[in-house]
Amino acid sequence: MNRVNSLTQAYSQAPWRKQLQWIGLFLLILILAALVAGIYLSVTARAATIGRRIQGIYTEMEDIERNIEDLQTQLADLTSKTVMEQRAAELGFQPASSDQMIYVAVQEYQRPDHALLGSTPGIELPDEQILAPEYTQSLFDWLRERVFEPAAPLLVEVNP
Amino acid sequence: MKKEHAWRYSTLGILLTALAVFVIIQMLRIQLSPEADTLRNQGEIFSGEYKTITPARGQIYDRWGHLLAGNKTVYEAGVDLIDVVDPTTIAFALNAVVGVEYEDVYAAASQDPESGIVYATLARFVTEEQKIRLEELADQMDGAYGEGDGEQVKSLAGLRFTPSLQRSYPEKSLGSNILGFVNWDGEGFFGIEERYDEQLAGEKKLVWISRDPNKVEEQPEIPSGASLILTIDRAVQSEVEKIVDKTIEESGSESATIVVMDPRTGDILAMATSPRLDLNEFWRYGEVFEGATPFNRAVSGTYEPGSVFKVLTMASALDSDTVKPQTPFLDTGAIEIGGIVIRNWDSGAWGPQDMLGCMQHSLNVCLAWVAKQVGANQFYTYMDAFGFGHLTGVDMALEDSGRLKHPGDSDWYEADLGTNAFGQGVAVTPLQMAAAISAMANDGKMMVPRIVLSIIDDGKQYNTSPQVAGMPVSDETAHELTKMLATSLEVESSAALVEGYRVAGKTGTAEIPTPFGYTSNQTNASFVGWGPVDDPRFLVYVWLEKPTTSPWGSVVAAPVFREVVERLVVMMNLPPDDIRKRFLESQ
Repeated sequence: MNRVNSLTQAYSQAPWRKQLQWIGLFLLILILAALVAGIYLSVTARAATIGRRIQGIYTEMEDIERNIEDLQTQLADLTSKTVMEQRAAELGFQPASSDQMIYVAVQEYQRPDHALLGSTPGIELPDEQILAPEYTQSLFDWLRERVFEPAAPLLVEVNP
Repeated sequence: MKKEHAWRYSTLGILLTALAVFVIIQMLRIQLSPEADTLRNQGEIFSGEYKTITPARGQIYDRWGHLLAGNKTVYEAGVDLIDVVDPTTIAFALNAVVGVEYEDVYAAASQDPESGIVYATLARFVTEEQKIRLEELADQMDGAYGEGDGEQVKSLAGLRFTPSLQRSYPEKSLGSNILGFVNWDGEGFFGIEERYDEQLAGEKKLVWISRDPNKVEEQPEIPSGASLILTIDRAVQSEVEKIVDKTIEESGSESATIVVMDPRTGDILAMATSPRLDLNEFWRYGEVFEGATPFNRAVSGTYEPGSVFKVLTMASALDSDTVKPQTPFLDTGAIEIGGIVIRNWDSGAWGPQDMLGCMQHSLNVCLAWVAKQVGANQFYTYMDAFGFGHLTGVDMALEDSGRLKHPGDSDWYEADLGTNAFGQGVAVTPLQMAAAISAMANDGKMMVPRIVLSIIDDGKQYNTSPQVAGMPVSDETAHELTKMLATSLEVESSAALVEGYRVAGKTGTAEIPTPFGYTSNQTNASFVGWGPVDDPRFLVYVWLEKPTTSPWGSVVAAPVFREVVERLVVMMNLPPDDIRKRFLESQ
């Protein structure tokens, strides 16, 4: 019995060591928690910053679209029939009459019948991927691709 | 740790625990309180806003891509009530710069933000220039009074501007009767704007915009409204409008209308009438179009066309083999049909004539006889085929179908056959007449008048196809009649003849009915013509309402046709007949 007690006493730790272990464990948990909180805060802050930028970009897009409309109308104002006629008159031009016209035959010239302001329907442009997968893939997508499609090359050569 | 310090740590621990417990209890209390829902809703309201995204209204172009209707930025002026310092100055400034009522602005800007209203609208459709002026005023006041407080401070603090798009018409009144306009609320009225309102306006969408940057979502991409390319040629339209204005002045007419069509496709190259409205000032509509004045006489103004209608009477007779160009007719100066006596325009008897002579001298008696020979049923079948009493199908709002009485109608009498033969007792629009007669210039095929050439949707241009409305007469009839009417103009040395170009045409002078019959001296003078005769590229229809210098179409309307064609051939690059034939031979 004495032998058991002496062994227990010999291998048991001092109370201050136990306290130190508990404190160490607590501090470890605290540091881990702080680390997670820090990463979370950093990611959230970055997400918020990017969110604000996206909100700003949407507003900017609206401004640009309005600006385009404004500029198109301004251009049309500046090239309106009345303005162009006035400018032509100031430069000394006057409307031609039929007897002043000189007609020249140009072989194979096809005068367009009307303006072409849009693309012809039916001719679809190929759905070209602009961004490389690295910019759109999540980490999990990438891992899944590597695990289930091991043949895929690690580097893709991009033509300049 | 010394025992004497232990109580301090214990006390601090207890206090912090109590604080934490208090915070948790307070959270639970708020969550479970009766106001919880209200507070949650308030939180929701302030977390973002619903925003109606209105796509830019589609643009309208002429056939060469010149912008006829576009958009420009305007602003809504409003105030954030919590920031307002001086509602009096805001009201003065808006009254002076924008022209809104002082009292209205003052009342709106003086509202108490404590009442729950945070924003008030003061003026809509503030222009860029007005906005800049107000911002300059605000800056000047800030410079003069700084951040000072008190009654003496003049400030526009709180004033905000929210941009939006408003319709703008760079060509002002050019083609206004075709285009129509868009009101303050973005609704299209008249013409193309009304007919294609839905397509031009696009689809509005209500979206939730979160203020929380962590909850930013992708905004749906809302495409602009579809854009339209019209068949109108801006240069031709402008020239024809100038001729309309000049003609009204010179002939003393109440109004003038000219339609220019490509008979091969039905494309309307110009459609000019009076009055016209600067579409950027659409609110003057009531002032410009007094009473029941139609917005566009070419599609909504009906009238009795007179002798231009004889083209169709003769076409039906030639096509049904009732007469030939050489068929003789003895004009005694009067003919009785259905109990009424029909006389010529000069009340004279023109003696022996053939059909060419009847058309050349525009003899009512002869044409009434021709209609009688064709027979009522066959005559009205032809007139139906020419589209009278029906809409032409042109893509414009408020088209009138006119009126053509038929045998069997309660108000149709046998005498109507005689009067209809020379264009009296029938109500038509200028566009109906142009479309019907265009069959003579297009091998007997009548095209549906086309005003929209292409629709551009989502960047793709969809071209419309010319549509055949029918073939009321054969190509032989069309060619024969064209030849007759070209000869007729040449023999008469008509004022409609154009040097270098062979054209066919017919004048028209119609008495205007009053409640007591045809008792007034006022007339509707018309002319319809097309050319070049061997390969028609244009058809021009002229209608002058109540000319005062002369009542006759041959005197007032025929020269207008010539003037239009002289400008038209230059703008359409149509060489004179001899040059064109030389080109064709050399090829």
